[in-house]
Amino acid sequence: MTPAGQFAIRFLPYLAFCVAILLVPQFIDDAFLLNKYARYLVFAILAVALCLSWGYAGILNLGQATTFGIGSYCMAMSLKLGTVPVHTGSEGLPDFMVWNNVTELPWFWAPFHSTTFAIIAGVLVPALFAALLGWFMFRGRVTGVYAAIITLATMVVVNLLIIDQQRYTGGFNGITDLAQFEAAGFTFDAYSASTYYLVAGCLCLTLFVSYAITRSKTGLILQAIRDQEDRVRFFGYDVALYKVFVFAVSAGIAGVAGMLYTIVMEFASPTFLGVPLSLSVVIWVAVGGRQSLLGAVFGALIVTGTQGALSESETFLESWTLIMGALFVLVVLFLPKGLAGACELLVQRFRSAAADGKASEPRTPVATQPESAS
Amino acid sequence: MDLVISQLLTGLSIASILMLVALGLAIIYGVTGVINLAHGEFVMLGAYCAWFLQSQFGLGLIASLIPIFLILALFGWVIETLVIRHLYNRPLDTILATWGIGVMAQQLIRLTAGGELRYVEMPAALSRSVSVFGASESAYRLFILALALALFAVTWYLYRYTSFGLKLRAVTQNRDIASSFGVNSGRIYRATFAYGAGIAGLAGALVSPLKSVSPEMGTTYVVDAFMVVVLGGAQSLFGTVASSGILGELSAFLAFHSNDTIAKAVVLLAIVVLIRFRPQGLFSTRVRA
Repeated sequence: MTPAGQFAIRFLPYLAFCVAILLVPQFIDDAFLLNKYARYLVFAILAVALCLSWGYAGILNLGQATTFGIGSYCMAMSLKLGTVPVHTGSEGLPDFMVWNNVTELPWFWAPFHSTTFAIIAGVLVPALFAALLGWFMFRGRVTGVYAAIITLATMVVVNLLIIDQQRYTGGFNGITDLAQFEAAGFTFDAYSASTYYLVAGCLCLTLFVSYAITRSKTGLILQAIRDQEDRVRFFGYDVALYKVFVFAVSAGIAGVAGMLYTIVMEFASPTFLGVPLSLSVVIWVAVGGRQSLLGAVFGALIVTGTQGALSESETFLESWTLIMGALFVLVVLFLPKGLAGACELLVQRFRSAAADGKASEPRTPVATQPESAS
Repeated sequence: MDLVISQLLTGLSIASILMLVALGLAIIYGVTGVINLAHGEFVMLGAYCAWFLQSQFGLGLIASLIPIFLILALFGWVIETLVIRHLYNRPLDTILATWGIGVMAQQLIRLTAGGELRYVEMPAALSRSVSVFGASESAYRLFILALALALFAVTWYLYRYTSFGLKLRAVTQNRDIASSFGVNSGRIYRATFAYGAGIAGLAGALVSPLKSVSPEMGTTYVVDAFMVVVLGGAQSLFGTVASSGILGELSAFLAFHSNDTIAKAVVLLAIVVLIRFRPQGLFSTRVRA
């Protein structure tokens, strides 16, 4: 097959997926459903973020929710200030600050009057945070399990700090009663097609950017680092730099997801930085296939979709967690590459069967093709 | 002076509970390299066993310790056979699989025993306080401390002076070579996992009178226990004792001078920094390959 043809085959599923999610509002008019689907798509963005660092660079980030939460709080601060004349005590302070006897707006809240600033901060703050943490970890050649524990511990610390600093962050309750997101004079109602399009558009963009990264030379080196870190280092590449880069990009994407989540859910809460969410992301990516961006997206959609459907139905209300847990263990045991890996295997079987059918042809070309490059 | 001693005792009490929970985790991680995220749930199951035996059969806490150890060891044995056995060459996947097991265990308990808080009664003989160098401390907490040390001594004896311990150390150092010398490494791993699970069950049973028993109680323990293991170094049993002592006293000290939340955050940060500069732990000289 020609390289262009192979590229088309690889790229086509992504294109088809993007068209499909953008078409959904044409067929569904229920605002409540659209809000729910938008939420699932936000999770898909988060899954792409983890897939980049875990699937492609081998960094198991058990604290992916940290950067998600930071993004979410950035947006929530901005949207909270958007409500100031309404939900406020004296002197334009957010309501929870008034309850906590804060008399003037803290300096780090002030710039969030500007939506543009909030959006930039929502991407850059998580990315910088991750870059610092990554620099700290990867310069010291911390890998594998230890990186996982550091990310987990860091997340718990950030979570504790947010809960502790109730005066500035709303504590346990988080930041609630937010304004609707406005950009370029257009208001995004959380329960409308506009927000859905916003989220779906961001997901498509994320997918293409991530796809470009994984197909680039950097992406190739990252995969090499995942498979044989020392060998890449011996070739003279700065392994830590590449890891910090992908860690920061992944965090930036998670930050975008966090901002969108606040827009869709209309609040921000410390649970967004919680261990359960962080581990859920790992599950989505593991189920979907950690070495496939689209697989991760489908993993997130399938798992959260099933979760939503099962927890709504009467019979499964009690037992859905049990079923999810069992499913997850089975996937880890029998499908280490997730659903995407299973699909790839099926395609390969199908192809080699087709090749067997043509008895006159030698079957070697199929077997030796570097199919498993991803 | 009283204040200092009572501070030290509080720290020791935290440390003994930490050590009970971390000991099982350290054994499992040190020997098999499995990150057992379900460890907190093993602790939780132990606590529920204590509650069940007490409320259904009227068994006192101390009398039920041995049955609880056996039940949890059996549970660990089954889990190892069904799931963990297949994942020894994929250490990161053990994190995922054991987490799935933990979720299932939690939900199973929620479905069968209910999600509400349960209470286990303290043994009557120990529900008073005794005076230690002028500071008063609950007798039960001292009992836990003694039992934790005793359990450590037993584990250390097993590890150091029995034929099982010898095989265990051999398998830890090099599984393949140990196998080729005729050590049944699969069985050693399984026994280790069962033993670790049993100890976790004991830990759960022992803390059950101090804290309320709920399906979620395990998650708070597992992170702390991990920090103990990481701090102490996975290979070193003494490291586990020392690091639970350090962490216990440190949390008690920080909690006294600021608040619980900040204490926890500072301890975690200290551990993050430690992993970065000394990933093999404070008390270990060798790193697992």
